[in-house]
Amino acid sequence: MGKAKKITPWLYLLPALLLIAIVIVFPIVYTGYISLTNMSLYNWDDFKIIGLDNYARALFKFDSGFLSALLTTILWTVINMVIQLGVGFFIALGLNAEGLKLKRVYKTLLMVPWAMPAYISILLWRVGMFNPEFGVLNKILTQLGFAKVDFLANNVIAFCSCLVLNLWMALPFMITTIDGALQSVDHDMYEAATLDGAGFWTRVRYITIPGIRQIIAPAAVMTTFITFKQFDIVYLLTQQRGYMTGATLNTVITYAHQNAFVSNNYGLSSAVSMLLFVIIILFSFLTNRSLEEV
Amino acid sequence: MNKKLIRKNIRLTILNMVFLLLCFITLVPILYALNVSFSGHGSALSGTLSLIPRNPTIENYRAILTEEPFALWLKNSLMLSLGAILFSMVCAVPAAYAVSRWRFPGRRATLRLLLVLNAFPQILTMFALFRVLKTAGLLNSHLGLVIIYAGSMCVFSIWNMKGYFDTIPMEIEEASKVDGANNAQMILRIVLPLAKPAIIVTCLMVLITVWNEYIFATTFLLDRSTYSLAGGLYQLQSNDYSRSWPMFTAASVLASLPLLIIFFKLQKYMVSGLTAGGVK
Repeated sequence: MGKAKKITPWLYLLPALLLIAIVIVFPIVYTGYISLTNMSLYNWDDFKIIGLDNYARALFKFDSGFLSALLTTILWTVINMVIQLGVGFFIALGLNAEGLKLKRVYKTLLMVPWAMPAYISILLWRVGMFNPEFGVLNKILTQLGFAKVDFLANNVIAFCSCLVLNLWMALPFMITTIDGALQSVDHDMYEAATLDGAGFWTRVRYITIPGIRQIIAPAAVMTTFITFKQFDIVYLLTQQRGYMTGATLNTVITYAHQNAFVSNNYGLSSAVSMLLFVIIILFSFLTNRSLEEV
Repeated sequence: MNKKLIRKNIRLTILNMVFLLLCFITLVPILYALNVSFSGHGSALSGTLSLIPRNPTIENYRAILTEEPFALWLKNSLMLSLGAILFSMVCAVPAAYAVSRWRFPGRRATLRLLLVLNAFPQILTMFALFRVLKTAGLLNSHLGLVIIYAGSMCVFSIWNMKGYFDTIPMEIEEASKVDGANNAQMILRIVLPLAKPAIIVTCLMVLITVWNEYIFATTFLLDRSTYSLAGGLYQLQSNDYSRSWPMFTAASVLASLPLLIIFFKLQKYMVSGLTAGGVK
């Protein structure tokens, strides 16, 4: 390879790398720097470096809230993934039932939540579904003779409401993925198994699930990351400025955001951001390796 | 045999009913929004439950278009999207071409680095970006936001288009090289036309992302004249409900409709595009 040939690719990459350096890399480095200072609203300009204090505060003082946010986030991710994979699997299985003529119509209608802009969906749910006075859910409850429920009033019920909304928004992708994977399962194997007297559950357990596991693994890993990083739902449902609902639910990302933009603990927020960056990188290396082994 | 057929039919009927119910439940929030947007004053906030407006009216649509600066929000959203598309494509197309076509030292490392950066949620650096924009005097400016969007979409676009470029055979380019075309000419005349579908799909995905983005838009654009659709809608839903909620539903229908159309046109690319950069 000549010298000119070695430089040409980098010339092509230069604008992109420059842009990425400015917009993505520099802010990460800058966040790392802020995390070592006591920057806050009162120390906007005259902040000073205080070493690793912010990290110590996030990790070793339970009342800082970071560890409980991390626990909430892990719980949130696990519950979401279990339900999404389970429900998504059975819906996709149903869609692939032999003789279901309206499959395409159902599939298209079930896709709509995915196509909607997320913030619009969440805001529609916040007032249209969950509102204690005139939300649809409470209208149904009162018509059935039950008392009204404030779906965002405390942490437990707010967590469940967020979960329902997240399932509504995320299931279409899971259904599409699993539906696609099901197409690749060999039909002859089903017939052979049926002839051998295998029932529905046996076929699912020994043919369908092993057959699709590898195909949906990357999508499941990606969804796990997205669920872990979920911010919009919790923030827009319970934490809008001036519209706190009483729930103090925090995921790690809303926790970092709250410390930066509500309580103005810029140093602590940045430290949490850097910790999350490390967690996400470690996690993605681990999953990348295990995916390559599959 | 007949018994078997009957049982199969019963199973299919039950399955159809389950799916009809499932589709209905899925669509309730959207039917609700349509219903309120076409209803007259007050009925949205009343205690009764109905899916079809009693006295259909387009009053809310008239109100959002004439009494609120919806056209301005729409224009701002379009400007942000187009700016981000143009900016990110100018950077990403040559970069994607380079990593797809040439094997050079540092290529693998660059691609890996891009993946790691893509995994990082940009919202975590929002405060740092806020300080930078403030220092640079770019708060409340569309330019600042366009640069931020372009940067994050550039990473995605490089990975997405690299995948498509990989499928364009090299022979075509080699043939044109023999004909004496230089690199830039070859890319403009041969590669770009071939890659057009991939570039269009990527552009539309950038459009969807930018159109749907709200947290940067509502944090960095604080002046009402700079509001995009996100800022406008956000403000409508946090205001006094009795007046602005029906308008919010009308605005949300108008803001979502173009996106729904683009999404369903692109559906088959959405899955592959989303997973393309995710694993390898």
